[in-house]
Amino acid sequence: MAEHHAVSDGKHKASTNAGGSVHGNSRPGAAGGGGGKGGLSGGLTQPAGWQSLLSFSILFLACLAGFSSRLFAVIRFESIIHEFDPWFNYRSTHHLTTNGFYEFLNWFDERAWYPLGRIVGGTVYPGLMVTAGLIHYMLNLLHITVHIRDVCVFLAPVFSGLTAISTFLLTRELWNQGAGLLAACFIAIVPGYISRSVAGSFDNEGIAIFALQFTYYLWVKSVKTGSVFWTIGCCLSYFYMVSAWGGYVFIINLIPLHVFVLMLMQRYSRRVYIAYSTFYIVGLVLSMQIPFVGFQPIRTSEHMAAAGVFALLQAYAFLQYLKDRLTRQEFQTLFFLGVSLAAGVVFLTVIYLTYTGLYAKIHIPIIASVSEHQPTTWVSFFFDLHILVCTFPAGLWFCIKNINDERVFVALYAISAVYFAGVMVRLMLTLTPVVCMLSAVAFSSVFEHYMGDDTKREKPPAEDSSDEDDKRNSGNLYDKAGKVRKHVSEQEKAEEGLGPNIKSIVTMLMLMLLMMFAVHCTWVTSNAYSSPSVVLASYNHDGTRNILDDFREAYYWLRQNTDEHARVMSWWDYGYQIAGMANRTTLVDNNTWNNSHIALVGKAMSSNESAAYKIMRSLDVDYVLIIFGGVIGYSGDDINKFLWMVRIAEGEHPKDIRESDYFTPQGEFRVDKAGSPTLLNCLMYKMSYYRFGEMQLDFRTPPGFDRTRNAEIGNKDIKFQHLEEAFTSEHWLVRIYKVKNLDNREPLDHKLRSVVPKQKYTSKKTAKRKRGHIKNKLALRKGKKLQKK
Amino acid sequence: MLPFYVINGNHLTLLSEKLTQMMEWASKRSVIRMNGDKFRRFVKAPPRNYSVVIMFTALQPQRQCGVCRQADEEFQVLANSWRYSSAFTNKVFFASVDFDEGSDVFQMLSMNSAPTFLHFPSKGKPRRSDTYELQVRGFAAEQLARWVADRTDVQIRVIRPPNYAGPLLLGFLLAVIGGLAYLRRHNLEFLFNKNVWAFSALCFVLIMTSGQMWNHIRGPPYAHKNPSTGQVSYIHGSSQAQFVAETHIVLLFNAAITMGMVLLCEAATSDMDIGKRKIMCVAGIGLVMLFFSWLLSIFRAKYHGYPYSFLMG
Repeated sequence: MAEHHAVSDGKHKASTNAGGSVHGNSRPGAAGGGGGKGGLSGGLTQPAGWQSLLSFSILFLACLAGFSSRLFAVIRFESIIHEFDPWFNYRSTHHLTTNGFYEFLNWFDERAWYPLGRIVGGTVYPGLMVTAGLIHYMLNLLHITVHIRDVCVFLAPVFSGLTAISTFLLTRELWNQGAGLLAACFIAIVPGYISRSVAGSFDNEGIAIFALQFTYYLWVKSVKTGSVFWTIGCCLSYFYMVSAWGGYVFIINLIPLHVFVLMLMQRYSRRVYIAYSTFYIVGLVLSMQIPFVGFQPIRTSEHMAAAGVFALLQAYAFLQYLKDRLTRQEFQTLFFLGVSLAAGVVFLTVIYLTYTGLYAKIHIPIIASVSEHQPTTWVSFFFDLHILVCTFPAGLWFCIKNINDERVFVALYAISAVYFAGVMVRLMLTLTPVVCMLSAVAFSSVFEHYMGDDTKREKPPAEDSSDEDDKRNSGNLYDKAGKVRKHVSEQEKAEEGLGPNIKSIVTMLMLMLLMMFAVHCTWVTSNAYSSPSVVLASYNHDGTRNILDDFREAYYWLRQNTDEHARVMSWWDYGYQIAGMANRTTLVDNNTWNNSHIALVGKAMSSNESAAYKIMRSLDVDYVLIIFGGVIGYSGDDINKFLWMVRIAEGEHPKDIRESDYFTPQGEFRVDKAGSPTLLNCLMYKMSYYRFGEMQLDFRTPPGFDRTRNAEIGNKDIKFQHLEEAFTSEHWLVRIYKVKNLDNREPLDHKLRSVVPKQKYTSKKTAKRKRGHIKNKLALRKGKKLQKK
Repeated sequence: MLPFYVINGNHLTLLSEKLTQMMEWASKRSVIRMNGDKFRRFVKAPPRNYSVVIMFTALQPQRQCGVCRQADEEFQVLANSWRYSSAFTNKVFFASVDFDEGSDVFQMLSMNSAPTFLHFPSKGKPRRSDTYELQVRGFAAEQLARWVADRTDVQIRVIRPPNYAGPLLLGFLLAVIGGLAYLRRHNLEFLFNKNVWAFSALCFVLIMTSGQMWNHIRGPPYAHKNPSTGQVSYIHGSSQAQFVAETHIVLLFNAAITMGMVLLCEAATSDMDIGKRKIMCVAGIGLVMLFFSWLLSIFRAKYHGYPYSFLMG
């Protein structure tokens, strides 16, 4: 065992490597330090030194490239927190750093979900906040005084560097060092991961992917070595993952699946037993320490597979033990009984999990309304992964063809992750690392054969034979001295190579593909994933840029001009931003835990003004904030989200709100004159288009022309009774209305009784002769008949 | 006064007679089949204190109305949910009129399309909203139930008969596999064949990455035929959607690129003679390059504004 520890840095690895990789008869995977490096190192006196230097610098450059390609948003805009959820994370981190850890754990946020409030400490995964807080604390200890916001902004890019390193480690365990380096380079720049980890995107996923990859690395390591040391490391990393992201469920299902498949493949060994038993127990206890997770690991169905496999493993180990003690006949009956029972149980579990796993099919509007919860088209796969999505099946093929314990793991990882990514767009994130690893395997095995000269023709890493223990004793893949002899004869036989021309053409073309991949990644990062969405940018015809900073302008207005305890109603998308930037109380926010509360806000938005006023009074609303994009043509505004508000409101209040009322008889959603009267008089419509009818944007269009929906609005004469406009931002993107207090006296519902006097009396007096008069005095005029009325 | 009582008495007996008749039919079939006479007597004629929801349809095969059959299934689901629910009363009945049995009814209501859902309220004349907006709301049983609840104040919880086909098929498949494995229990080599496993894993991965799950959930058309020019387009113009044909093309391209990579490696490692290996190698790199650039050009056509291309414009 002594030779296994402390090999996590490149130098040790390479020095063990040195023995194997001297010249032509070297064993294949060993020399593959990044494909071509084998050739370079071969001719030098100290190949190991060169190799480790190269690996180290490649890895370092990969981290650097990953870090810097995530900085587009910071360079173009500023160091700012992006989007929606990061604002909540930032606010909690801020709370953590100002009030301390225990205060954070007990934090009851009375500013969210008015009047309910939210227990933040018990309903978040605290890993992200604690990580950022810890870094901030350390930096301040060293008297590097940075603001917590900058720590938050740059956390995800820093962790992407760590992800690259852990991917390198994992791939090196699975295949070889060359593949590891390629995988590190891939994951550093692949858009599928960048989408969640650009600077400013301060979200759980940013650190969770590092934790995921590192946990898998330590798991593979512990399966390979069977040492409790690595397994405890794995558990600690798993603990970090649990504290960081709800996606830890993926780990706690994948690792048991790995163990189960290993048992099915009759690859059970004492190493697997030690690794999994330790992992399950310690991991279980650790994961229950997170307040938000609590007792879920022993109660909910998604953790049951792990428990089932644990029981199965114990039974299997017990049977193995009995096998040594009992006669063959007795053992066989027992064995079949046990296996059939276990198989039945596991089969039922799998069926159950499959049925519950299809959660994208749940048609709850609040889930369906989030665009991340949609299934994935092939375009998204190609957009996020480019060449990798086409080549990673090849890597999977090589892995299965040369199967061993850890490659079983990566195959299962790939198959399960690709399924989940197909069901839901946001789970593309869990697929990305495995695609990078397997593509790296594919590319590196091509490069291994086609770079360098013919005499160095190499085999893929020798497949794992039955004598596993022999392999284990030799440690890792790099110094299997025993295997080398077997291949010598084969290699001599296949001495004639493909010739340098073909080889160099293939190499060139492959490098070209990789270059295109790099260019694609940069383009996608720059164009699709680097917009903070808090600050918008538009480009003029001559290429100059306009910054539209309406959101912050409006939030700052709220912060400066409203009462500290004012309650702001808005659609739930903007809840976190209002809380974070304006520091005001919100009714609903992006933590969509209370559907009926959201439905109530939706109902207020979609009712007419007087009905909405009743709801707003009952919710103590002081201000209403809406997003309106009709002036600048911003498509993500509230009118475009409006149908979801109606649907969610309809789900809870089917008597009052009906989706069909908001459509024209032809079933269209129109804001112009042909639109349905219910829509044209609902609160959201009126708030969006108040005074918009007077505004002419340019000479070609009539006044009140909505640029987002390309229509002239249907209701230009909008008057409010219970609301008044409080603030409209520069480009009308954010509009804030103040909810008036009740009038002094309620106006009567019915008309006043008209008390028209039977006889009209009009005073003939002028101002000069103002004296009293007798009401209803008979006015007699001479010479005229009195008219009877 | 006396004749009035008589009439009223007749009225009552007629009503209860009709009601018992309707209940009797409803107990036999949840959707009452009506022809012209029945329709006039039980729906059109005045003494009536029950609502009737009628589907006008054309189910005869020679009418070739595919939509009618689907709508009929949904209507049956709805009617059954009502018929066998605990809240079943004689307030609402479900009935259907087929064009070939009651074409006079169609003429009477001046109706010229099927299927149509109409609600005949217990009091008063049918209004505009008593005609179900089939184009807008579709004919899912849940939507129909909402409409019925809206018109008659009768809440129906739609209970679909569970679909046993999926689990049965799975069970059957597993049984076949298990049976085969049992028959060949002395020769289980095929279970250890890596090629089979690798191939099936690849199939699964390719199916998923080509967006078949999206197809499964969204149900897009196979391809789109332009009605004016008759041109068939297999590739959807937007990056937000896709046709089934398109995903099959992408699946093939991805498979070809994968095969190219595998061929490249095989060419370098196999023990065949050098000529064959060279051919393999050239074929492999050709497959990779050709199909990747083709895929890139399709992607570029769909993702507007994407600047890069390779070999093909």
